[in-house]
Amino acid sequence: MNTRRLFSLFLVTMLFMLGVSVMAQDEAPTPHVFTVPENPPEYTEEQLADNAYLQSVVRRLTEEYDTSAFKKDPPYRIALAAQGPTNSWAALFDEHARWYVDQLGTDVVSELLYADANGSADVQVPQVEDLLAQDPDALILVPMGRAALSAPVERAMAQGVPVVLCASGVDTDNFVTEVGTNLYSSGERWAQWLVDKLGGEGNIVQLNGIPGVDTAETEALGAEAVWAANPGITVLDAQYGNWSTSEAKQVMEQWIAQYGDQIQGVWSGGAQMSMGVISAYLDAGLPIPPIGGGEYMQGFLRLAAENNVEFYAVQYPDAMVILCIDAALQILRGDPIPRYIDFRDYLERTQDFSNEDMDQFYNPNWSDDVFGPVFLPDERMIELGYLTTPESSG
Amino acid sequence: MEGVEHTPTRSSQLTTFSLRQFILRYGVYVSLVVLLLAAAVLVPGIYSPQSLFLVLRQASQLGLVAIGQTLVLLVAGLDLSVGGVIVVTNVVIAEVSAGENANIPLAIGVALALGALVGLVNGWLITRRNVPPFVATLGVLVFVQGAQIAYTKGIPSGFVPDGLNVVNQSVGPLPVPFVLWVAFNLIFAFVLYATPYGRKIYAIGSNREAARLSGIRVDRLIVSAYVLCSLMAVTAGIVLSGYVGYIDRYLGRGFDLDSIAAAIVGGTAFTGGRGTLLGTAAGVLIVQFLSNITLVLGLDEPVQLIVKGLVIIAAVALYSIAARKP
Repeated sequence: MNTRRLFSLFLVTMLFMLGVSVMAQDEAPTPHVFTVPENPPEYTEEQLADNAYLQSVVRRLTEEYDTSAFKKDPPYRIALAAQGPTNSWAALFDEHARWYVDQLGTDVVSELLYADANGSADVQVPQVEDLLAQDPDALILVPMGRAALSAPVERAMAQGVPVVLCASGVDTDNFVTEVGTNLYSSGERWAQWLVDKLGGEGNIVQLNGIPGVDTAETEALGAEAVWAANPGITVLDAQYGNWSTSEAKQVMEQWIAQYGDQIQGVWSGGAQMSMGVISAYLDAGLPIPPIGGGEYMQGFLRLAAENNVEFYAVQYPDAMVILCIDAALQILRGDPIPRYIDFRDYLERTQDFSNEDMDQFYNPNWSDDVFGPVFLPDERMIELGYLTTPESSG
Repeated sequence: MEGVEHTPTRSSQLTTFSLRQFILRYGVYVSLVVLLLAAAVLVPGIYSPQSLFLVLRQASQLGLVAIGQTLVLLVAGLDLSVGGVIVVTNVVIAEVSAGENANIPLAIGVALALGALVGLVNGWLITRRNVPPFVATLGVLVFVQGAQIAYTKGIPSGFVPDGLNVVNQSVGPLPVPFVLWVAFNLIFAFVLYATPYGRKIYAIGSNREAARLSGIRVDRLIVSAYVLCSLMAVTAGIVLSGYVGYIDRYLGRGFDLDSIAAAIVGGTAFTGGRGTLLGTAAGVLIVQFLSNITLVLGLDEPVQLIVKGLVIIAAVALYSIAARKP
């Protein structure tokens, strides 16, 4: 075979291999497009009165932000000021962010500027300044403190860097949009399920998260509104469990000793505390009452499955960072965007669920600390040690 | 008569001396009795067998850590890294055992080895590098927490084996952790009060330089105190792991300061050289009963913390006044 034919054969082979490799790559995901909801939730004046959080969420759900001033051509440099892998939720948050940016490709996001706040507002404030100094196209922020991060957010906006709040809020209204869910409604839904379960009559105990933390206090307010509307429900006691399994167990043990089988239901502001509740009842050898306080958390679902616990779960997925990134992209395209984005409207598998449909969510091969839904590929989950065998993540 | 300076008589000196000594020696026990009587009036339900069982079990978890903390305080130190050691123990138990009871001894061995290493580092920093105990143990705490998060990437894997559930059982009417706590108290009491090691520990705390001049290997003994403190924190971590049955990143939160508070309330001096394990045990019971009483009374958590803080301040103030020479 002469040289020319050999070269032609080589060229054809290389082109073929290139074509195969291109075809073998995952297609880049199509970013979500956010619009003002057609049927936003409605609240009475009484519910909105003295509830600044609810007023803000309700107002922003139907507001649109004109992002034309931020319009730029891709690729984009996006800054992510995150909580940092201080717990499993935050660790998976970061993993989802990196994975999603990787999927989008460098044609869309050329660089993800990342800062790890180690869960501290004091650490995060100067980090945001450092990120802004690198002149990103957009800033995605998981605020570690509402008040502390308000000024940095305003500085970012003044600098022309659009801010997307992710999973938490700030005191200032000067940002483009926030991705999250109506925490007041989350607390309400947990409570309403309990009320319905008890037929509107019964004794419950209420276990809140960490005192002073926005999420915990807002969810508790939602629950208290439901109790007030249902006088047949008696709250025997309300305490803080600090989102800790061990602390919640100690509180629950004391309640069991004090009230015994008078407790007909438990409202819990987090799955980790709900695990402590179940553990306390197992140690006491008493039947476990219905729990309005589940989440899509593997350890809780495992315990609930093993002990036939009745529960209602409301989600707060770490995967919402995917929507936060998509929101940043929509802003940078110059398209109008709603000022509040409820992840339940866009992210699959984030709906409420109960013990009756738990099999759609429970994955026995996940480690206990995993918060779903998970969109990472199985290989990555195995590599990280979160998945023991190749099963479909969900 | 005017202008005549009053000279204290021998009898008044004895009275003053006895009151001071009484407070120093028995103040914590009197306080505990008063608290228990108050509980009987305010929340009599706390004396139900079930409730007492809970209080003793929870007190034992803190009590195990407080034993080690007392040792460290006796040599004029303190250990803020115990909380981090508890969490690391929880993670190690789950990851090394992978939920299998057969792996429990190995998991416990690894946890104890890591705990000893933490104690050695604390002791080395304090004795060889002259880092103040507060700074050294705080730094080690931050390092241990960071190392744990970095290793697990924020999501520890594995399960706590159900064999550790034995800590939720009882020996007769007494919770297993309480029996453990009593056993360790007896062991350490023997070591502190009936062995040369114990006498040297008190001597170091009373006057480090004099102890050194008398031939005591001060640095080595201080390091040993920190190692033992960490090992007791590991023991508490094992008990707590069995109690929760799960990897809890908040496990043992507050045990660092609570164990110090219990020892101080129990009469152990911050400056070293004074304190007893029995006093610490009483201090633990005071701290734990206070927590349970305020919980049963339905007080908000901020109020609970205020009450606890006031009791600690009052105890420290009383001891410091009593400890002043007349």
